[in-house]
Amino acid sequence: MSPVFTRNGAGGLDLTLTSEERDLLRTLPVELRALYQAGPDDADPVQSRLFPRAYLDPTAEDAEREWRELVHPELVRDRLASLDRLLDSLEATPGSRGTVALSLDDEAIGALLSVLNDARLALGTRLGVTEDTDYDELDPNDPRAPEIAAYAWLTYVEGELIETLLADLPD
Amino acid sequence: MTATPIETAPVETEGETDLEDVTITDRPWLVIVWNDPVNLMSYVVYVFQKLFGYSREKATRLMMQVHHEGKAVVSDGNREKAEADVARLHGHGLWATMEHPS
Repeated sequence: MSPVFTRNGAGGLDLTLTSEERDLLRTLPVELRALYQAGPDDADPVQSRLFPRAYLDPTAEDAEREWRELVHPELVRDRLASLDRLLDSLEATPGSRGTVALSLDDEAIGALLSVLNDARLALGTRLGVTEDTDYDELDPNDPRAPEIAAYAWLTYVEGELIETLLADLPD
Repeated sequence: MTATPIETAPVETEGETDLEDVTITDRPWLVIVWNDPVNLMSYVVYVFQKLFGYSREKATRLMMQVHHEGKAVVSDGNREKAEADVARLHGHGLWATMEHPS
């Protein structure tokens, strides 16, 4: 089943997930928390994608270090807050008959978007995703098949969420 | 460099800065977003609209420039504004850098 976001009366979004889908979302904050607390590290592809340099100029090391000291703790703090916020949303909802009905306010929507996008950045970097990756030609014997399938599902959900959010922004 | 909280809207401070800073801010710093294979095109448009208040048309044009040319200048300003913009873009998972054209 594919989740669909619908506007609710309170100005938030509702969506229904299978319990398996909810369980997949629950695993993301565990992995992301470890990544957030380990960085920054320019030598690690996932870390340097989540926490890129601001100054490309290699002679600007002093400026880069000052900038990182200033903003890195805040970038980590905001992202950790999104993990906690999403977990609260997923835990607060009673499940019934294999499906989970979620009702997300603006803060929870932002948290879900942040987690989906960072999970895709981390997973996509690790998997070496390119713009030409075709999920329909996935080899079921590929040991990476479960991760690739998860990446494809997260991409679908994020795409649906973005389309819903874009509809509320001005042209 | 003055510490600027990243939530705060950039404020022009040229009237309060010394001569050296005024000289530095004559040419704006450029904030550049680079193409990457993971971020959704729709997501990039959403972030440009949300962070910079750009119209759908302008946000889409910049996203397409990133997609086709590999990068685009998405904002400019003094060094503090550029640093704050880069931080906000990183906070939304975009690959952004800043540079000062010479």
